[in-house]
Amino acid sequence: MSYEVTIEPLGETIEVEDDQTILDAALRAGIWLPHACCHGLCATCKVDVVDGEVEQGDASPFALMDFERDEGKCLACCATPTSDLVIEADIEEDADAEVHPVEDYAGVVVAIEALTPTAKSVIVELDRELKFQAGQYVNLHLPEIGQTRAFSLANSPSEKRRVELQIRHIPGGEATSFVHQQLKVGDKVDITGPYGRFFVRRSADADALFLACGTGISSPKSMILDLLEQGDDRNIKLFHGARNQTELYDRDLFEQLAADFKNFRYTPVLSQPNGDQTWEGAVGYVQDVAQSHLENDFRGHQAYLCGSPNMIDSAITVLMQGRLFERDIYFEKFISAADAAQQSQRSPLFKSI
Amino acid sequence: MSAKKLGLREKYSKMTRDLSWEPSYQPMEKIYPQTEMEGLKIEDWDKWEDPFRLTMDAYWKYQAEKERKLYAIIEAFAQNNGQLNVTDARYINALKLFLNGVSPLEYAAHRGFAMAGRQLPGVGAQVACQMQSVDELRHVQTQVHTISHYNKYFNGLDDFRHKHDNVWYLSVPKSFFDDAMTAGPFEFITAISFSFEYVLTNLLFMPFMSGAAYNGDMATVTFGFSAQSDEARHMTLGLEVIKFMLEQHPDNVPIVQRWIDKWFWRGYRLLSLVSMMMDYMLPKKVMSWKEAWEMYFVQNGGALFEDLARYGIRMPKYWEQTVAGMDHLSHQTWNTFYTHNHAAAFHTWMPEEDEMQWLASKYPESFDKYYRPRWEHYKKLEEEGKDFSNPSLPMLCQTCQIPMFYTEADDPTTISYRVSEYKGDKYHTCSDGCKDIFDHEPEKYIQAWLPVHQIFQGNCGGGSLEEVLDWYRLNQGVENVKYHLSEDFSNWKKWKGLDPETESDDEPRQVSNG
Ligand SMILES: Cc1cc2nc3c(=O)[nH]c(=O)nc-3n(C[C@H](O)[C@H](O)[C@H](O)COP(=O)(O)OP(=O)(O)OC[C@H]3O[C@@H](n4cnc5c(N)ncnc54)[C@H](O)[C@@H]3O)c2cc1C
Ligand code: FES
Ligand SMILES: [Fe+2]
Repeated sequence: MSYEVTIEPLGETIEVEDDQTILDAALRAGIWLPHACCHGLCATCKVDVVDGEVEQGDASPFALMDFERDEGKCLACCATPTSDLVIEADIEEDADAEVHPVEDYAGVVVAIEALTPTAKSVIVELDRELKFQAGQYVNLHLPEIGQTRAFSLANSPSEKRRVELQIRHIPGGEATSFVHQQLKVGDKVDITGPYGRFFVRRSADADALFLACGTGISSPKSMILDLLEQGDDRNIKLFHGARNQTELYDRDLFEQLAADFKNFRYTPVLSQPNGDQTWEGAVGYVQDVAQSHLENDFRGHQAYLCGSPNMIDSAITVLMQGRLFERDIYFEKFISAADAAQQSQRSPLFKSI
Repeated sequence: MSAKKLGLREKYSKMTRDLSWEPSYQPMEKIYPQTEMEGLKIEDWDKWEDPFRLTMDAYWKYQAEKERKLYAIIEAFAQNNGQLNVTDARYINALKLFLNGVSPLEYAAHRGFAMAGRQLPGVGAQVACQMQSVDELRHVQTQVHTISHYNKYFNGLDDFRHKHDNVWYLSVPKSFFDDAMTAGPFEFITAISFSFEYVLTNLLFMPFMSGAAYNGDMATVTFGFSAQSDEARHMTLGLEVIKFMLEQHPDNVPIVQRWIDKWFWRGYRLLSLVSMMMDYMLPKKVMSWKEAWEMYFVQNGGALFEDLARYGIRMPKYWEQTVAGMDHLSHQTWNTFYTHNHAAAFHTWMPEEDEMQWLASKYPESFDKYYRPRWEHYKKLEEEGKDFSNPSLPMLCQTCQIPMFYTEADDPTTISYRVSEYKGDKYHTCSDGCKDIFDHEPEKYIQAWLPVHQIFQGNCGGGSLEEVLDWYRLNQGVENVKYHLSEDFSNWKKWKGLDPETESDDEPRQVSNG
């Protein structure tokens, strides 16, 4: 048995099992709610129950007062729903977030193109328009193997019926191996979405800095196409990393954009060119190249990072050395089952990074 | 468009941030003269993120209900003679240490946060400090109620203010806070909110509160819950302040690092009192000091410092020495109190055989080799009626004010001494950590009120031990004896009907002093 819990002011709805705490379900759904002790003592996780009923669990009488219980408050770390709920949490309502409800779409694969030996572009035509905000992702359901995996939307949001996924092959990975070895044009797939809170904060008066590696270019591609289509005139800098030239794709597209739009700057970066004489571009890790190009001063930017958890962690460290901090750093970590299994202990110093 | 309901955040900002104003007829530097004296560079106060969004009116409402609940429980505890339900009267000595040593620090914190709030120009920081200042006042009041109750039945709790200001070992916690309060506002918050309440809090709070729960002291447990609901706010303030300083300017990083080094070490030294409480004073043990240090500092602290590394902050200097010292800290501290019990306002004792076994199992590297033989020797002397006492006055560390009894981190048989010279005089410190602190601000620490120096200078009532103890207002022969000879012990046996020789009283009788 599970309940639907809507979290205001985000307007996002999550599923909560009847013996699961609201906090646990929210964090698992990628929604950050304030919390600290996680067992009912500190009151950091207090939320308003606007509609519905909860069981208060082990909330300490000093952390959740009687009058607050009467006023319909609960501690998200202890409370479990006993009906569908609407709660209001003390989190920032993001003025730049568009609200697009999550829905299920039926799709057909209409094109598959090898971008590199390890990445494929998969174009799926949907039964109807999917509205999303550039940067968001969808869950791809592969009926033949009965598996669902997350992939970012690489197309511009102005393209609503045909979505592009750029899928890297994870050696030994069930879903991505299937996509690379068996999926063919004409196959039916299901798509659910859009999800995620990775999007450009346009209201900020700042340059946009994108750091992307491998198939992590998918979201930034959509975000940059969208910004340029909308005539956004902020400076946009993309550092695009790949191992070597064969792994670097969509370079022509970005070089063309850089020629057409003077506020867009494109820097491809190879981490292991291994003596490739034809490569005249930057060599190293994207974050290090960005650091030297910007002379270790990232102030005045908003950074958007996309790719593997390792790349994102290193990039955050570099950005902070260049004095850009949590409030100006946004990212999408392409977590796979292997990464999720080895998440290390974190301190509460940072909220999301 | 219909009027939109204010989100929690907006509501807070209207009720707090929007209450500030730009001064027009006095310059900011004159209103906030301490902002720059510590060398920090603050470029933009608007980047201060209020770590919790609580408006003052809501604050009063919460605290009032907490008080109501807490006092109802304390009242019931008193009515039901709750003090008789503790494991045994040895436990009360842990309370004596806490209530004489730590409770006055809550009051000091109340003053310190009021001063810090006055000196910080940002309104978010001001409100946070104001609330914490009032919190601390509440904490000390509730603890004074606990003192008042236990003081009716046990010795050593009757004069906590006077003792805190004068008695030698209580100068350790007192000078810790005095040091913080006489620094600037940012160092104060780094010292108290970050180093103490965040990094080290679990090592102070957890042992006392779980210790109280394990040992049947429900009055203290309830106080603990009530305070913990404030504590989260305090810790968050500590984290926010650190992030704020580090993000404002790169030149702040070395300053903050030095404060972290200093206050980590000072806090660690202060916690030696807790270490002996955990390993020796709780009749029913929660966990060993070593286990607590490994879990709360090495693991949790390690995760924090991994995150702080992003700002260029490293682990506190000399943290390795604290790990090397885990096997010895509590034993050496307890040894000192046991051998100086005649000058302390609580009782000490030698562990029972089952406790020795527990200690040996928790400290396989050190206990049987270095400490058990000593304890067995003391016990033998006790049996012969010749309790061991050390009548000499020890040399104190100029920084932490603890007698110089700690050994070198890598050699438990050599006492650790460090010496600095300043303006032609020699100053002694107990460790590299304390020496660094002294050397950085010698002008501050040469003014330290060191209890032993004060005795020798004739400022503590006279030259003999009796005169000094009288001046401490220590009820001699009652408060300052070993547990097996104490009135607490004989009363306890009477009340609990444990002594076959005396009749058990129906009503616990109150003790004579106090
Ligand atoms: C929000 C989001 C957006 C994403 N967008 C994209 C995108 O646009 N493009 C893209 O290429 N990728 C993207 N990813 C990553 C993509 O979802 C994963 O690569 C994909 O789920 C892998 O699926 P798989 O079935 O092939 O591998 P899985 O079978 O799920 O596992 C991957 C590997 O981990 C190993 N493994 C599994 N479980 C464990 C375990 N418990 N411990 C250790 N190892 C284990 C497997 O053997 C395998 O080698 C995104 C991820 C997220 C979260
Ligand atoms: S997180 Fe501390 S009470 Fe919920
Ligand atoms: Fe010292």
